[in-house]
Amino acid sequence: MTRGGRRLVWLGGLAWALGGAPRGISAQSSDSLFATGMRAYKDLEFDLAASLLRRDLAKVTVAGAPIAARAEGLVYLGAADLFRGRRDSAAAVFRRLVMLDPRYRPSQLVFPPEVTSLFDGVRLQTKTVTVEVPRDTTIVPGPGALGIRIIASSFQTVDVTLRYEDGAPFRALYAGPIGDSLNVQWDALDAAGALPPVNRVLLRVASRAPTGELAGIVQIPLDVQLLRPDTLPWPAPPTSSEYLPERAKGGPAGRALLGGVFLSGAVAALPAVVGGSDTPSGPRIAVAGTIGLAGLVGFVLHRPGRPLPANVRANQALRDAWQRRIATTTADNALRRRDVRVTLRSGAPTAIQPRGP
Amino acid sequence: MRLPLLALAAAAVTTGEVRAQALHPAGSAALVTARVRSQRPDYQFTGSAFLGQGTLTLGRLHLSASYLQGTLNRDGGATGSTDLVEGTVLLGVRTLDWLTFEAGPHARAYTPTGSTQRWLFWELRARAATPFVGSAARGYVELWRAVAADANVPEPFDHAQGGEVGMILRLARAPLSARVGYRIDHAVLGGGTRLETVDGVVIGVGLAWR
Repeated sequence: MTRGGRRLVWLGGLAWALGGAPRGISAQSSDSLFATGMRAYKDLEFDLAASLLRRDLAKVTVAGAPIAARAEGLVYLGAADLFRGRRDSAAAVFRRLVMLDPRYRPSQLVFPPEVTSLFDGVRLQTKTVTVEVPRDTTIVPGPGALGIRIIASSFQTVDVTLRYEDGAPFRALYAGPIGDSLNVQWDALDAAGALPPVNRVLLRVASRAPTGELAGIVQIPLDVQLLRPDTLPWPAPPTSSEYLPERAKGGPAGRALLGGVFLSGAVAALPAVVGGSDTPSGPRIAVAGTIGLAGLVGFVLHRPGRPLPANVRANQALRDAWQRRIATTTADNALRRRDVRVTLRSGAPTAIQPRGP
Repeated sequence: MRLPLLALAAAAVTTGEVRAQALHPAGSAALVTARVRSQRPDYQFTGSAFLGQGTLTLGRLHLSASYLQGTLNRDGGATGSTDLVEGTVLLGVRTLDWLTFEAGPHARAYTPTGSTQRWLFWELRARAATPFVGSAARGYVELWRAVAADANVPEPFDHAQGGEVGMILRLARAPLSARVGYRIDHAVLGGGTRLETVDGVVIGVGLAWR
């Protein structure tokens, strides 16, 4: 390999190391992240430990490492600062740790009482909470629909509210003391008991010191989406072609009358048609009259405009069936309108610290 | 010879349909007030006769037979009577729902003057029938003409034709029916030198299995 080629390979390796380092950090475990700092701490080289841990913490914070990993680094850093004689710095580190994870407690097997007692003192003075809400859930509006779990660093007073995006109050959920943790319920309704008219609200938990002083705010955006099932369309009314005529038409009556006249005429004319002209007409006329009378009776029975009760009943049954379908659909749609569900998606929490005096 | 050929043709036309059909028998009994008229004054008879008819229907094809028998009395107060016997066997085909054609022999025998006259007509019939008062009353018109005849009379046969018009009343859900009609046959012999007319009113009841 030439000299220029070796230089190119060295530059490529350097570029790979620089470019891949941040991703590598996020993928490493906390042991390997803070291993050198912890080893220095255990070797009682607290200055070196503090320096290494502070450097590594800066890296993992930038890289967005998990809270548990960062908490492990912070507790070692606070302890190192304490044994370096920098009690204020240690308290600040512990305060940062409490803010990061109010549930965190240093192991009494690993750390001496000086460290744990300082940490407890800082924790008791630091008023902060962590809020647990489902990341993505669908609820039915009503009492106990959504459970919100609030975990406090120490005894304090909290105001749990829902707010519009512009900060205006939407719904107050809880105001009062909290010890270790607290479950707050939201029924997915606004203060007036109606469904949320907006697509986004802010869940805000304000922590207050016993003196009433605002100690901190944790805020989580909640995307709200109402799911309303589609209602059923109205059943179509029966078409005119489905109804039977309720009054007799003239066809059957005319057919009876004309049929009677034609047949009577045929009886009377039959001898002439077949050539037997000398037959007596009496019996023939009797038959013709009987058939003509039958046609006349048929005309009366089927007279135009005569009500047809069977058809009237059939049409009424058709209308009743349609009305029943409408009633069923109305009841079904009423159920569907009441069956509203709310989908909630929570965003990343943000912590707001009040400015110091 | 033409009639058997016609019957065979009708059977051939309807063979495919016949296989899928069932037999439907029907029968009727009627009282006929029959009259026999001729040009001779002593050839006037009137009386009652019994008419029995039966039909077997298979799809559009049907076979019908009838038998009429009665005693006719001489008109005009004269004494004497004669027996009238008639019979037909007809093979028919229903070409339209309302139109039927039939063909077959029609035999008649009666004794007006001591010697029995026997007539045999080979007839071709057309019958139209359709309801005219709802479905309860069905009117029918039937015309026939003899295409050949054989009679033991001195005059040569010229032509013969006839017909029947009437109505059949059918009860709504029962297989029973009632019938009233008028029928007439007219035969011409010897170039018009002899005319034979038989007519009558038919009143009867029928029974049909569907």
